[in-house]
Amino acid sequence: MLDIRKPLLLIFLSLLCACSGDSEPMRQLSGPTTPADDRVAELYNRSCRSCHAQGAGWAPKTGDLQAWAPRLQKGAPVLLEHTIDGFKGMPPMGMCFDCNEEDFTKLISFMSGG
Amino acid sequence: MPNRRQLLKYFAALSAASFGGGMLSQSAAARVIGWKNWSGSQSCVPSARLAPASLPELQQLVAESVGPIRPVGAGHSFSPLVPTDGQIVSLARLNGLVSHDPAQLRATFLAGTQMSAMGAPLHEVGQALINMPDIDEQVIAGAIATGTHGTGANIGGLPSFVTGLEMVTATGELIQCDADNNPEVFQAARLSLGALGIVTKIQMQNTQPYRSRRESWILDWEDTLAQADQLANKHRNFEFYYIPFSERCFLSTHDITEEDKFSTSVSDGNESVQDLKMIRDYLSWSDTLRGLPIKAIAATMDREVVVEASWLNYASERNVRFNEMEYHLPREQGLAALREVRQVLEQHHKAVFFPLEVRYVKGDDVWLSPFYQRDSMSIAVHRFHSEDYRPLFNAVEPIFRKYGGRPHWGKINSVTRAQFAQMYPRWEAFVEVRQQLDPSAKFLNPYLASLFSGAA
Repeated sequence: MLDIRKPLLLIFLSLLCACSGDSEPMRQLSGPTTPADDRVAELYNRSCRSCHAQGAGWAPKTGDLQAWAPRLQKGAPVLLEHTIDGFKGMPPMGMCFDCNEEDFTKLISFMSGG
Repeated sequence: MPNRRQLLKYFAALSAASFGGGMLSQSAAARVIGWKNWSGSQSCVPSARLAPASLPELQQLVAESVGPIRPVGAGHSFSPLVPTDGQIVSLARLNGLVSHDPAQLRATFLAGTQMSAMGAPLHEVGQALINMPDIDEQVIAGAIATGTHGTGANIGGLPSFVTGLEMVTATGELIQCDADNNPEVFQAARLSLGALGIVTKIQMQNTQPYRSRRESWILDWEDTLAQADQLANKHRNFEFYYIPFSERCFLSTHDITEEDKFSTSVSDGNESVQDLKMIRDYLSWSDTLRGLPIKAIAATMDREVVVEASWLNYASERNVRFNEMEYHLPREQGLAALREVRQVLEQHHKAVFFPLEVRYVKGDDVWLSPFYQRDSMSIAVHRFHSEDYRPLFNAVEPIFRKYGGRPHWGKINSVTRAQFAQMYPRWEAFVEVRQQLDPSAKFLNPYLASLFSGAA
C-alpha cells in the first residue's frame, strides 16, 4: 500500500511556503526606469513594462539583479529563446509581435541591468 | 541565493555573451521569428510582421498588400484567427484615447490600445467602461472582434458597448460606421473577427466612474448551484469557479459602492492554480484524497473583500498559461450542462486541475455575437498550456452543443461554417457585407476562408 503521508505533508508544506513571502532583501539597480534608446523605450513601455516594472506574477523585475541572476546564468541564447518561444508565465515574444531579435536582446539587456 | 561575487560573475558572463551585439548578432541572421499566441498553441511564420506608426502608413500597407493580411492584437485567442503565411499587422503603435463626449459618456480609442491602458485616461475624463473581462491584457480591437465579455446577467459583452467604428478596407480606404451611418457595416463590424478590414478606432458607450466592492468566498457545489441564479440576479457581476474533485466552488460578486477603498488579504489566483497542479501531480490516483487538502484549505479561507476603482477591480493577472474552450449557453440550460461537464471531467479526465469557470452575460443584437438575442451562461474549461487539451475539449464540446451552446470566437472549438450558419440568424447578412468590403478575400486566412469564402 502506498504511503500517502509524505506527499500530503509535502503538499501542505508547499502550500504553507506559498503563503510566506521571500524575506531576502532585493538587490535593485538605481538606474533609469526607461531605456535611453527611443525605439527600445517604446517597445519596453508597451510590451514589457506592465509585467516587468512591478515584477507581476513571477516576472523578474526590471533592474532586480537578484531576480535576473539565475536567468542570466542559463546563458544569453537560452534567455533569448525563452523570450521568443515563451517559457512558464512568459508569453511567446513577450507579446511584442513586431520585435526582432535585436529588439529582444536590447530589452533583456535593459531589464536585467546589463 | 547568489552572493555579490556570483552576481558579478553572471554579469561578466553576460558581457562576454555580448547582449549588445557579437555572438547574439551572429545568430540573429539565421533565426526566423514567427508568431505564437499567448498559450503557444497557435503559431505561424508570416511573410512579414508589421507595426505601422501612422494611419496613412497602415492604409498604404493594406492597399499595396496582395494578402492574406491579418490583424493581430495581444495574441490571447486560442482559435486560429491569426495564423497566415501572409502578413500580420499589429496596431500596437496606434494606441491611446483619441476623443471623448462628456454629454453622452462616450470615448474613442485607437484600436491598438490595451484594455489595461483604458481605465486611467477614461477616469481622467470622467468615464469608466461599463464592464471588463477578467484579464485586461487584450488589445481593444481584438477583444471587440472576438466577442470578449465579462460577467453580469444584466450586462452585455464588449461589442454591445460599441457605438462607432473606423476601419481600413481592402482598398486602403478609411470608412466610418455607426448605427446611422453605414448601419449594415456597423452591425457586422461590431464583431468581425478582423475579417472585414482593419479596425483603427473604436467608440464605446461608457458610464460614470464608479467604485466596486468585490467579495469572494468558498461554497459547496450543491449550495452554489442552488444559489447561482439568485446571486446572478442580485449582484451587478457574479461568477463562480468549480474546483475539480473538491465539491467546492469559489464565488465572486461585484457591486457599485460609495465605500472608501480597502482590501482584506486576498488569495493569489496564480499560486492557487499552481497549488492545484501540485495536488494533481501527487494525488490524482485518488479522487477522495485529492479533495482533502483543497477542502482543508478552503475551510480556512475567510471572505475576501476589495473596494477599488472599477477599472482596477475586475481583472487579474494570469501567469499560468493555458488553453481554453468556452461556450455560451442559453442561461436556463447552463447549470444542467455544467453538471454534465463536471461529471465527464471527474470520471474521465483526472489530469485536469484548472477550475471550471461560470459567468453570465446579457443578450444583445450584434450579428455574430454568441449572446445574440439570448441571455447566456458561459462555461469555460482549461488545460495547462503544455498538456494536451484535445481529450477534454473533445469530450465536453458535445455537451455544450447539445444544450445549444455557441462557442467563444477566440477560444477552441470545432464548429463548421454550416453549423455557425444554423446558430446565427444573421450569418448570411454578415457574409454578404464581408464579401462587399473584401471581394478578393485579402483579410482571410485558411480558418476564416473556411467560414466565409465562396459558396456555403
